[in-house]
Amino acid sequence: MKKILGLIVCLVAFTQASMIGLDALGEENVVGGSAAAAGRGYAGGAKTGEAEGLSVTNPARMAFDTKVVFNLNFLLEFYTAERHGDSYFTKNLAMPSFNLSFPMGDFGAFGVSLWQHYSSVIREEISDSASAAEAKIEYNGSVYEIVPTYAVRLPYLRNISLGAAMHVVMGSMKRSLTLGPNKDAVAEEDVWATNNKDITDYVDGSWEIEHHPGYYTGSIQYRGRQSSFYFSYTTGYTLLNELEYNFRFSEVDTLVPSKIDRRIEVPAMFATGVNYRLAKRHNVMMDLQWRVWDEDVENIGHSYDMRSVTKTQDDFVASIGYQRDGSGLYYDPFWDRITYRAGAWFKNWYIEDVYEIGGSVGANFPLGRKGIAVDLALQGGKRISESKGNWEEVFLGVRLGLMGIGSWGQSRR
Amino acid sequence: MKKKNIAFLILCGLFAAMLSACLFDSDDTALSSWLNDQGLPDSYKVQTVTIEDLTPVSAEAYAGKTVFSAYDRALLGAQAGLNHDLVLDIAFRDSTFIDSLSKSDSAAAFVTLFVLNPFYSAKYFPADSLPYEETLDLKVEWKLDVGKGKPKAFVDSIKDIKDSAWREELAEWEADNSADTTYELSIGAKDSLVKIPMPSALVEDLKNAGSATHLQLRLSAPDSKRAYRIYGTGSGLPPFIRVKTFSDTTYKNFTAFRMSEVITYTDTCDGCLLLHGGVLDSIVVEYPTDKVLEALSDFYGDAFPFDEGDGYDVRQAVVLAQITFPRDDSEGINELGLPIQVVVGTFIDSLDTEIRKMEEYRLNRKMIVESGHPNLVFFDGDSLSLQVTYGMRDVINQAKSGRNLKMMVRLGYPMLQSMDSAYVDYAFKDSTTGKTDTSYVFFSHFDYARYDFGTSFSKPATLKLWLATKRGGEE
Repeated sequence: MKKILGLIVCLVAFTQASMIGLDALGEENVVGGSAAAAGRGYAGGAKTGEAEGLSVTNPARMAFDTKVVFNLNFLLEFYTAERHGDSYFTKNLAMPSFNLSFPMGDFGAFGVSLWQHYSSVIREEISDSASAAEAKIEYNGSVYEIVPTYAVRLPYLRNISLGAAMHVVMGSMKRSLTLGPNKDAVAEEDVWATNNKDITDYVDGSWEIEHHPGYYTGSIQYRGRQSSFYFSYTTGYTLLNELEYNFRFSEVDTLVPSKIDRRIEVPAMFATGVNYRLAKRHNVMMDLQWRVWDEDVENIGHSYDMRSVTKTQDDFVASIGYQRDGSGLYYDPFWDRITYRAGAWFKNWYIEDVYEIGGSVGANFPLGRKGIAVDLALQGGKRISESKGNWEEVFLGVRLGLMGIGSWGQSRR
Repeated sequence: MKKKNIAFLILCGLFAAMLSACLFDSDDTALSSWLNDQGLPDSYKVQTVTIEDLTPVSAEAYAGKTVFSAYDRALLGAQAGLNHDLVLDIAFRDSTFIDSLSKSDSAAAFVTLFVLNPFYSAKYFPADSLPYEETLDLKVEWKLDVGKGKPKAFVDSIKDIKDSAWREELAEWEADNSADTTYELSIGAKDSLVKIPMPSALVEDLKNAGSATHLQLRLSAPDSKRAYRIYGTGSGLPPFIRVKTFSDTTYKNFTAFRMSEVITYTDTCDGCLLLHGGVLDSIVVEYPTDKVLEALSDFYGDAFPFDEGDGYDVRQAVVLAQITFPRDDSEGINELGLPIQVVVGTFIDSLDTEIRKMEEYRLNRKMIVESGHPNLVFFDGDSLSLQVTYGMRDVINQAKSGRNLKMMVRLGYPMLQSMDSAYVDYAFKDSTTGKTDTSYVFFSHFDYARYDFGTSFSKPATLKLWLATKRGGEE
């Protein structure tokens, strides 16, 4: 337990996301940030199997699972942000989700996911006496969702399943900019009062959905011998971010904060995907999810020359993937038991003029006779930005998923 | 392949990746440039605003405590408009002695007080003041109670009276008996005790005391030239009363187990705003803030007070606020000839409750070296500068509530490092004698001074603000 806590503390300490859209919602972890899905380029929402686990975009898929699956996903990402000849290198370590799915035979399947849907996390510092620059910027924002999910196969049309998920939103947001004094405008005889006085523009608050406990996803899945597909619909909702703005000298020397709420109208999302079995254990898959944004995203803003809104565009993720399933037989050679994956995606961010293209390769390594597997995905790509303030990023990511598979509640065949 | 190997490989991979991440680095200009693209600065600009001609809406002096515990040290006499009386609380049971006392024809009593030697022999006490010599007109008052029931129970019951309860009663002191006496007081450099003969009426009363006695003895010298400092009951040299018979030359010392110093104000000064040192006197002054808000509005071009949303203004913060008053030392009286620091607190809001917060004092080192600390009275110059940063932060933050800048001033300790910017006690080597000495910031004894703030808090004051803002559009 100590080790796990230590690991979580480490992760929290290092957590960092893309530098794009920090003041809006931050980076979206699509399809739950799952390492398995990432290995095939975020495609494969329609891919069924005995232990595929929970999918937050396609809850119906879980009904075809026969095994209890627990997985924990990690992301380690390096990226370089660039604009006007300047480049800034940084890294990112996060735990985007963990999922549990629990098939109950004829009673359907129940699952729950904890998903960091949006994260805006960086912590950077500069101290340059030559240019009088002394600043420490910190964003620590997460929109978390707890997603209880239920899926069941239809009684007669056994190849069709229905699934529903509720997304209970929570989380916190913090922006802190600590600045050192710039004494250029101060008369020589008045400089004494400013020495070593750092001041922090501090904002913090919490996330919830306005007037509702959560938002919902419903999906239908068809599993065929060769092709499987799904359709899912997620309701739109209004994210409420209650923020307190302060200007403070230290944690105990603050002003009375000014309270301002921001509301973000997140539109409904439609997702679909298809999985086609080429040959024994060889699959190709394509997925698409999109949202039509009507409103701009209100930023945290309210300080200096920060923009008050982030302009939006219709966001979608189009992905294509390939997977060669590993053999389930323990006595087969190890290389044959590994699941191999590859994929590519194109993503239109919700932020106007920000696009992402990426590719990935991945694998699932079974460890031991049964029960434990490790998903590994290597990703690389580029986030292209023509929007104001957002730099382009070239990224390289390693995703790791720790997976526990069990046969609880299954009768011997 | 064994699963151990795989785990090892994965770990290696992760560590290698982390390590490589640490090897990359980016220069600082990139982050500055990124911040700039977000509309964020990489330092804050300090700006100053000066507001002239602030006149207070109210200024009121409040008397401090009137009864002090005299555990460590105490004063007896009159000093700068205050009378310091001593009340000694003595309880004893000694029937044999009282019997012999009542049988004897002649008897006498003395009260012995020990002069506070560390004060009079201190380097900072003006040495030429001593010796002190005067004929002291003393008023001795007492309450004598012999109690009922068993003597032991009676004496124990006196000790059960809480100190605070006893002190509270002293505010309404009514003596059973009193007598006036004179005493030839002489305190030379080496004199360490004052032995005051008690009036015979007190001795007569003591003769009639029973086997258990509770004596409360009050000494006052309202016409004395100055107040004299003595050791308290908790020091090694507590005051005591000695009672002796001349017939068989037996005597007894009865030590005061507790003592109080009772203050009475005799100061009269029309149109003065008086503060007395050492007794927690305070003046509360309120300045209206409309001029300040007007000046800020002119400076920033924004509406003041801020009344959007809940009306709490966080658009700017006060890095430092300093208010400067005219100062006139002429009505002041001090004993030690040392400058005295003025202590300042402001009344601010804390969770909808008004609290008094003592202000921090930020040092203007360059100026201190040239002309001394700006917050001193009994000092060169004719102005007094006090820092009211917390107060101004609160006032501007919650300007919508229409609050005033409300501040409290009080006389602090005498200052020894008036021209030294260190503002900490430190050891140094004397360049001539080669000995190591300590430079103290403050003298550890109060100057029971009197100071008139009438000039300071009636004439216009100047407020200077050092500000940081998070408004945009600077360039």
